[in-house]
Amino acid sequence: MTPVVHQLPTAYLLLLPLPFLLFFGLLEALRRWLRRGRARQGERDWSLPALESEPHDSLFSRWDVRCKLLSLLIYAFMIAALQQLSSALLALLISVLALLLARTPLHRALMRFLALGGFMGMFLVVMPFSAPAHPGDTLLVFHGLESFPFNLRGLELAATLLTKGVAIALLSEPLLGSAPLPVTLQGLSRLGVPAMGGQLVLLCHRYSHVFHAEARRLATGMQVRGFRQSTSLPALRAMANFLGMLLVRSFERTERVMDAMRARGYQGRFPETVELKMRPGDLLLSILWLILGIGLLLADRWG
Amino acid sequence: MHIADGVLPTAVAVGSYLVSAGLLTWSARQTEEEELPKVAVVSAAFFVASLIHLPFGPTSVHLLIPGLAGALLGASAFLAIALGLLLQSLLFQFGGLTALGANALMMGVPALFCGWLFARFRGQASSRQALLGGVAGALGTGLAALLLALLLVTGGEDFFGVAKIALAAHLPVFIIEGVVSFFTIGFLAKVKPEILNQSFCRVRRPQDAVKEGNQPRKPRL
Repeated sequence: MTPVVHQLPTAYLLLLPLPFLLFFGLLEALRRWLRRGRARQGERDWSLPALESEPHDSLFSRWDVRCKLLSLLIYAFMIAALQQLSSALLALLISVLALLLARTPLHRALMRFLALGGFMGMFLVVMPFSAPAHPGDTLLVFHGLESFPFNLRGLELAATLLTKGVAIALLSEPLLGSAPLPVTLQGLSRLGVPAMGGQLVLLCHRYSHVFHAEARRLATGMQVRGFRQSTSLPALRAMANFLGMLLVRSFERTERVMDAMRARGYQGRFPETVELKMRPGDLLLSILWLILGIGLLLADRWG
Repeated sequence: MHIADGVLPTAVAVGSYLVSAGLLTWSARQTEEEELPKVAVVSAAFFVASLIHLPFGPTSVHLLIPGLAGALLGASAFLAIALGLLLQSLLFQFGGLTALGANALMMGVPALFCGWLFARFRGQASSRQALLGGVAGALGTGLAALLLALLLVTGGEDFFGVAKIALAAHLPVFIIEGVVSFFTIGFLAKVKPEILNQSFCRVRRPQDAVKEGNQPRKPRL
């Protein structure tokens, strides 16, 4: 069987960018909307980490954190293994339902989606043109551009990857955002992740906000002295010194913080904030969730 | 650039998780307690650097700093990068779940190689260190782009086109990263030389320490 080839007049080529423009336009509009929302809230003090508002009481916040992490992570791998667009769309629907159940704030879900945009957009644009023609494929060939056939199988593959990616990215909100960070880290350490990792994540979380504030301060200082960004060598040198200064200052500051923590009795362990309790319901939910994943996989392969 | 979830074949995603876990354990063993603040600084810097956009022609690029992380931390660089990625996924709503292992490999392995290169040939002169830092910076990005392309290619021939484009897209970052790392390492070598890594592997075996009459090293955090 040879590929099915549809000859199209060159004028149709003008229609081709339309879906892609729509996709990127949607991304840009969402980005602007999020930025405007943030600007309305006013400038916040970047040196402080965003105090996480207590996650909404939901099915996911009541689920034991160890069961939740383990079963949702395995489920995420099952989604990653899907091959058909239809089952990927079903997985996306399940993720959206999970978001609604977890009562995740809309802007967090949108940020997860936007973070994927650039990388997956590249797949959407490149794959239809780069996927080699296999027997049974449908090719759109534009008059005058015979060497660049548009392969619909490539488009479908890219769309499947995008759908799977979004389904997993959205799922990480109920997984990671439905419990306070220390509780999630406590769950991870109970699952065998060395405690040092968890402690370092907590410290890094604090430091990254401090650095962000420091970086803004340095950048403001550079701007009032007339620095303008460009790709010239002096500008790159100024940026490199900025990065170096940021590292030196942050390092000295971090060492002082560490000394102060040790002086107050820190021995590499923060007290555990909650007692983790596993009930039969947690296990049941995990099992149900895994069965859902297996069902999706079976439908994908033999459906 | 992060690999998104669902792109890699499942076997590759699971395999890279396992390899990353092994490297992470090794890297954590190489990290001494006194170094933890530095690891935390580089992890946070890894995150903040991705927010600094440098203009390049009509578009802008952001720094990846695997080479710089290697030059600063040596064998602990893998730990710092894996933590940075976990932090991004946990708190800043980007980075993947199933692709976390592959992303850690993509950035961490170049960091380890650059760390080894820097520690091996650094010498004493600050100009030599700056030059080597520049090489490490460029090489770190180049290797990361190469690993990204290799990981994508495991998906089959449908992914060849995307892999080539991803490789080409890293070319400007490769150049800018090299120049910035050259100046940054030069700056650090003059201003605070002790922040630059002295030797790749730090751990001395306890029996060596006893032989030299020192106390065995303190238990880690």
